[in-house]
Amino acid sequence: MDPVTLKNPEAKPSAPVQPVAPAPATSMRVALVEDDLSQAELLSHWLELAGHRCHQFDRGEELIRALDQESFDVVVLDWNLPDMSGVDVLKRIRSSRQASVPIVFVTARNREDDVVTALRQGADDYMVKPVRRLELLARLETLARRGKHRVEQPEVLEVGVYRVDTQTRTVTRNERAVDLTAKDFDLSVLFLRNIGRLLSRGHIRESVWGPNAVVTSRTLDTHVSRIRNKLGLTPEHGWRLAAVYRYGYRLEQLDGPQPRPTQPVV
Amino acid sequence: MNAMVELGPEDSGCRSAPPVLTVQVEKDMEALVQRFLARKRGDLDRLRGALATDDFETMRRIGHDLKGSGEAFGFPELSGFGAEIERAATSSNGHALREQLTAVEQFLSHLRVTFR
Repeated sequence: MDPVTLKNPEAKPSAPVQPVAPAPATSMRVALVEDDLSQAELLSHWLELAGHRCHQFDRGEELIRALDQESFDVVVLDWNLPDMSGVDVLKRIRSSRQASVPIVFVTARNREDDVVTALRQGADDYMVKPVRRLELLARLETLARRGKHRVEQPEVLEVGVYRVDTQTRTVTRNERAVDLTAKDFDLSVLFLRNIGRLLSRGHIRESVWGPNAVVTSRTLDTHVSRIRNKLGLTPEHGWRLAAVYRYGYRLEQLDGPQPRPTQPVV
Repeated sequence: MNAMVELGPEDSGCRSAPPVLTVQVEKDMEALVQRFLARKRGDLDRLRGALATDDFETMRRIGHDLKGSGEAFGFPELSGFGAEIERAATSSNGHALREQLTAVEQFLSHLRVTFR
């Protein structure tokens, strides 16, 4: 009997799989914390096939450190990690600046008290391995839909005086068209869909320019500054597009128009 | 993942040949499945080493990982073996662990994976 033929089994993983049907409007940025390399490769493969962007971490501490500078739409978390338990990671996330990110446990621990512990500590969902591909994707998309960041986006978004039509790729402010470049449009949509949410520079870059683009911080800042001016995302108009030092940006809707800051008298 | 499993003689002209388990997996999974099986063969060596030194914690972890991943790759039998290994290691049952180790070895040596 012939054993299974393994062709160069220890070869480096191939390049990331291109999504079968890219769906940018439904694309999520997923943090996957999983130390089992085979499992991580499989889940990552499934996520990328579905058009999502997957960032792998094989230690809890790696994710915690990343969250100092990065934001994600959802975290997929294993329980048994080499450096700390998934529940400890969960607690650390919930006390971080990304405290509200949806978290799904994907673990082989199937005892009822494990499920209860994870949910009571703040997990949003719990799946027992082996997981099924379509179920995993459906659960992640459901979680993201429930959160502030809607994954399945309507073609027309209306927020205050702004109306965004993603079909015609136009933005109007008080019913007057705003002249935006393609990237400025994408950036505007990203912020207007994530009001109040702190987005990391990496998250913004990946969402607007794509996962492999090389974009300097200065370029990103220039685009942000431009849409701030063009859309009037300033306190006197009831908005603040705030820079968070060494992290990213957050679009905030203020209670009402705020007085323009007075110039200091010299 | 859709996987077709078929158990039968490897060569219909040789009835005494040991059975072969054929699992059919989608082509796009080929590289992933090959790496997975290679790692699981490596885990057999680690299991043997752990068994020789009564390192039940290592065996429990190997079983736990196998339980969680086998079926997702199209091999539910491996998930079953993994669950048994984890259980036996948790109760420090060396006899059951040796039985499971043999079962996994046999399974992997009789396994043939085709990709479509």
